Amino acid sequence: MSIDVSKVFLFDNSAKNLVEAELLDAIVEKQLLDWEDQWIPARDEVNRRLKAAGVDRSKWPQTGHWSWRDKQLGIKGSLSNPSFCVVHADETQGLMILDTLPSARLSSQAGKPIVYIDYLEVAPWNRKHLPGDVPRYGAVGSILMRAAIELSLQEGFKGRVGLHSLPQSNDWYANKCGMTDLGPDPAKQNLRYFEMTPEIAQAFINRGS
Amino acid sequence: MKIEFTKEWCLRMAQLEAETPSNFEVGASPLAPEETMEAAAVEQSAASGIVFGRFVRLMRRKQRLTVEKLAEDAGIDVVELVEIEEDSRHTPEPRTVYQLATQFKVPMQGLMQLAGLSKAKDARLVNEAIRFAARSEPVADLNEAERAALEALVSVLSER
Repeated sequence: MSIDVSKVFLFDNSAKNLVEAELLDAIVEKQLLDWEDQWIPARDEVNRRLKAAGVDRSKWPQTGHWSWRDKQLGIKGSLSNPSFCVVHADETQGLMILDTLPSARLSSQAGKPIVYIDYLEVAPWNRKHLPGDVPRYGAVGSILMRAAIELSLQEGFKGRVGLHSLPQSNDWYANKCGMTDLGPDPAKQNLRYFEMTPEIAQAFINRGS
Repeated sequence: MKIEFTKEWCLRMAQLEAETPSNFEVGASPLAPEETMEAAAVEQSAASGIVFGRFVRLMRRKQRLTVEKLAEDAGIDVVELVEIEEDSRHTPEPRTVYQLATQFKVPMQGLMQLAGLSKAKDARLVNEAIRFAARSEPVADLNEAERAALEALVSVLSER
């Protein structure tokens, strides 16, 4: 399997500068080992901090029971489930699995093909867990989102992207990405479903121009 | 596929990310909190509580661990572990079940069923769980009958 590598830049929040990183169009064993050896211990440390701070368990990261190894196993060999990851300093900084089979739900796009983001997660050290937390690296989530849009364009789906956001991420997809909120979806544990039109996808790409 | 990213775009997006308290996680997992809570409400019963509690207790004893040591090794709350072992009405946290599955090296999906957090789909597992509950007694040492009952249940869990 050949893997394409794209050069990306993350913002190092402690050094206050951009650092070079890589976007890979695959999740391989190295990423699963990073998840097991680095993400899980970091996540447990986060949970200890939340517990010490008296944060109710219902507010703890909702990805705490996710297994990227199981997810990767579930899509093994599936051509309709491309995956991406962001790597910097020999560490996996973010992971994403996509599905190219679903159709759009927005009335203006209904029935048209989309790239659906099955799962997207950034490393525990790149998230905000408690007030005042500063992620180690910025732009990881945006780069993965951009990869989904670019795949949609390459597939001829014109940038249409759909996803079910976990509650702690709703603000990002609604207000910063400009996606349309189609409300809670009873078929997906009442997670809110968001969709991006071709126009909003182009605006997302043009953000940095 | 190769994608061209400019420094300016990455910097602008990092700034946008910094402006929101939001995170980026996406995905409706089969074990997302809403579903597990709903499943727990429907499926959780004293029977599953008894089976899961006894299973955890015997696996702990098989590994010759105290409650405190198991809680520490598995990275779970000692209070919750006591409740799992002692209170058949207690509904464990999905994360706790995940940690225990890892600690005991048994499949998470099967243990989730045993804990009553997901719908039981495997009749053999249900039957073996009931036989296990009937045969196991929470006494100090793991006797041969308990060991056999435990190993039979682990065997069915591991086949899944």
